[in-house]
Amino acid sequence: MPIYLDHNATTPLDPRVLETMLPYLSGPYGNASSVHRYGRAARDAIEAARVQVAALAGAEASEVTFTSGATESNNLALKGLTEGRVPSCVLYGATEHPAILEAAESLRPHGWQVETIAIDRAGLVDWPAFEAQLARGPVQVAALMLANNETGVIQDCARAARLVHDAGGLFHVDAVQAGGKLAFSFADTGADLMCLSAHKLYGPKGVGALLVRSHVELLTQLHGGGQERGLRGGTENLAAIVGFGAACELAAAEVGQRVARWTELKARLEAGLRALSGITIFGNGSPRLANTVQCGVAGWEGEALLMALDRKGIAVSSGSACAAGTGEPSHVLIGMGWERDIAFSAIRISLGVATTEAEIDRFLAVLAELRAQAVAA
Amino acid sequence: MNEIDDDNPYGYAPAIWRLFRGAPNAGVFADGTAGVISAEAGTPAARSVLRLALRIDGDRVAEGRFQAYGCPTTIAVGAWIAGWCAGRTIDELRRLKAADLREALEIPEDRAHCALLGEDALKALLTRFQEQRA
Amino acid sequence: MIYLDYAATTPLDAAVFEAMLPYLAPGGLHGNPASTHGPGFKARAAVERARQQVAALIGAEPGEIIWTSGATESNNLAIKGTLEFRGFPKNGKPVHIVTSKTEHKCVLDTCRHLETLGARVSYLKPDGQGRVTPEAVLAAITPDTALVSLMWVNNEIGAVNDIERLAPSLRERGVMLHVDAAQAAGKLAIDLQAVPVDLLSLSAHKLYGPKGVGALYVRRRPRARLAPQMHGGGHEQGMRSGTLSTHQVVGMGAACQRAAERLDADAAHCSGLRDALWARLRGIPGVLRNGPTGDSAGGERAAPHLLNLSFPGVEGEALRAALPGLAVSSGSACSSATAEPSYVLRALGRDDETANASLRFSFGRPTTMTEIGQAAATVIAQVAWLRALSPLPGSR
Repeated sequence: MPIYLDHNATTPLDPRVLETMLPYLSGPYGNASSVHRYGRAARDAIEAARVQVAALAGAEASEVTFTSGATESNNLALKGLTEGRVPSCVLYGATEHPAILEAAESLRPHGWQVETIAIDRAGLVDWPAFEAQLARGPVQVAALMLANNETGVIQDCARAARLVHDAGGLFHVDAVQAGGKLAFSFADTGADLMCLSAHKLYGPKGVGALLVRSHVELLTQLHGGGQERGLRGGTENLAAIVGFGAACELAAAEVGQRVARWTELKARLEAGLRALSGITIFGNGSPRLANTVQCGVAGWEGEALLMALDRKGIAVSSGSACAAGTGEPSHVLIGMGWERDIAFSAIRISLGVATTEAEIDRFLAVLAELRAQAVAA
Repeated sequence: MNEIDDDNPYGYAPAIWRLFRGAPNAGVFADGTAGVISAEAGTPAARSVLRLALRIDGDRVAEGRFQAYGCPTTIAVGAWIAGWCAGRTIDELRRLKAADLREALEIPEDRAHCALLGEDALKALLTRFQEQRA
Repeated sequence: MIYLDYAATTPLDAAVFEAMLPYLAPGGLHGNPASTHGPGFKARAAVERARQQVAALIGAEPGEIIWTSGATESNNLAIKGTLEFRGFPKNGKPVHIVTSKTEHKCVLDTCRHLETLGARVSYLKPDGQGRVTPEAVLAAITPDTALVSLMWVNNEIGAVNDIERLAPSLRERGVMLHVDAAQAAGKLAIDLQAVPVDLLSLSAHKLYGPKGVGALYVRRRPRARLAPQMHGGGHEQGMRSGTLSTHQVVGMGAACQRAAERLDADAAHCSGLRDALWARLRGIPGVLRNGPTGDSAGGERAAPHLLNLSFPGVEGEALRAALPGLAVSSGSACSSATAEPSYVLRALGRDDETANASLRFSFGRPTTMTEIGQAAATVIAQVAWLRALSPLPGSR
């Protein structure tokens, strides 16, 4: 069986989640917008899932809008907050996911001033620079991720929210990687919007959510049908929404034990990595997700190492799956101020609920073997 | 009359659903029945017409009937009034208001007009009764 | 419960479900199709196989298929993406769209949104059979017309627009054509090699595939150009970003393959049921059939799976409520909550009361002749009951 250590790219569906989805996949449930009997049952299931998602994120059910995934959620957040408004400034962290980065950059031609929020070498917001940036002028929205998809570095979003609010702006949090890996609360972060994805927390692909506080005025980006209280048109993806809800409920119940397990496994992994020479663990001193390690491996290109590991049946990544195969170094590491050559050498190992000590040991052994071969060659 | 053998897929209030499906007291009195007064309210264009017919014996209603063209709530209002009137005095009828109908049938805000239609039909009938007495 | 609302959504085909299951169940097929390792490559291969299956149903090349979250997104992307690519609204140039009043709500909502940004939109009225003729479209074209967006099959009455004749005329005039084929795919033969449509929207859950996935056909030669509406990661040739939902995409592929194989059988089955139901219900006094009758002698084409009838003298909501064991629709499911009478039926000359007293019956693979018989008996009884209840003259 191949060893899968790329859970930040996507997770396998939890079999318990699949069980909850099956009746909605193969059952006679109609279009959730139809008024007849099956439609009512479908709507009830969607509302139950909304409660489950809200509970994981410390939000109100009424704040949850279902989307086709985090990319749509992030696009809806940034475009929905800027469309039809007098352009001012949009800020996003230098290490954000491409969905935020590209959605923000797409606003430039519409007259918006788009700037990055400086991130330091440890992966954390450069607070003095951020404060100075906020002081310079009106900001419509600032976006930061709660936990970085590559380094796993956890950002102090509550602090950022206070600063952005003091400057009169709205604050959006991409919590895709934090969901199910970290206990957090939408209410406590003070964020105005937050996005989540199901397939990062053992739910199905093709569904996500945008949490929106009631005071936020957001314009729909998917017109038609009036679903999701007019915020997001389109027939609801019933089975996926039900699965998302179930995955959130399981994550909320199990996050403590998952984190405890990952913490042990990560300690084992990092100890093993440190025993090898030429390894740099990014964001090392910063608070990080318990399941994520991104490291530079001196003398290797990350993509080449990834392929060599893949041939040995081990799946890791060199960064975001969404930027895979572009031949560019990780924009996250570049954004943190790391040099291109070390950024090129990065691989990301992300653990899952089923990851074992034996898998970690096997990965470490293969990595050591590949390095030895490279040195010999 | 319909057999009541199905649950209520569109989520009407239970009283409305029961009265719509059963439609008790639907119909008209046979031609020439003594003491019958009838009146109607609503228009076809508004997609609701309610006709009430009461057989009045002295100061009391002996029996009520209704006919309705309209949504299930309108039909339920007609059925309820026709049944409620039976055995009551004209004075009691005068005191029945739309708010009482809404409470009795759990009529939601967006269907308040159905209760008003019921009140209007009864009012029209009582006016006609008054005219006949006068 | 007799389900006769297959135009709203279809149940997942058992074989389609079987095809999807390996991508949901444990077994190592869960990879992200964008990942560059073994599990990612396996997922990618499944996605590309599905792309071929969808392309084959409509006579397209796999590279012309863009995955979306459904027909609503496909329609949004096609219409907004076309205009934005032409520089609208930034460049300030006048832009004109031709569409019809009977399009699906998501097309109309998108067009209304673009009007608020300054686009001019012509909403054409259908003719007495519910069709928008090529002549009517061509007459509405102006030098500023950037796009024509027209549905292939009307979702309420099954009228079939003559896209085969319209498309070449628009190509000659250099006007882009977007077709919402959500109700046409799997019901009528579509061959985009022969019909020069530029953009075409598809939905999986209308043809026994899963909900939450659709596709937009984007012609390569000559290339239809779009500005992406969902940014991040550059998936789908940069036209639509976001992690692909492997199991759903696989499901849509399998559903399209099955639809292609069964096209003639499905159409014959559905039109047989439709004709049988009409044969029973036409005996109801005053009943009106809305839309095409499928009388090919008159050159009139009808989608095989829809029958729309008006029952004058009964109130629409009461009629639907009186049929609790029958899942039918009063129009498009997406607008059932609004009490507005259907525009399509108004265009056919029905007054508000008659339009309101209408039911759309739609048929699918699982529908049986027994169900048709039961449905007909119930409808006949309940229409008679509601008319008996009515004080209106002539309704008894």
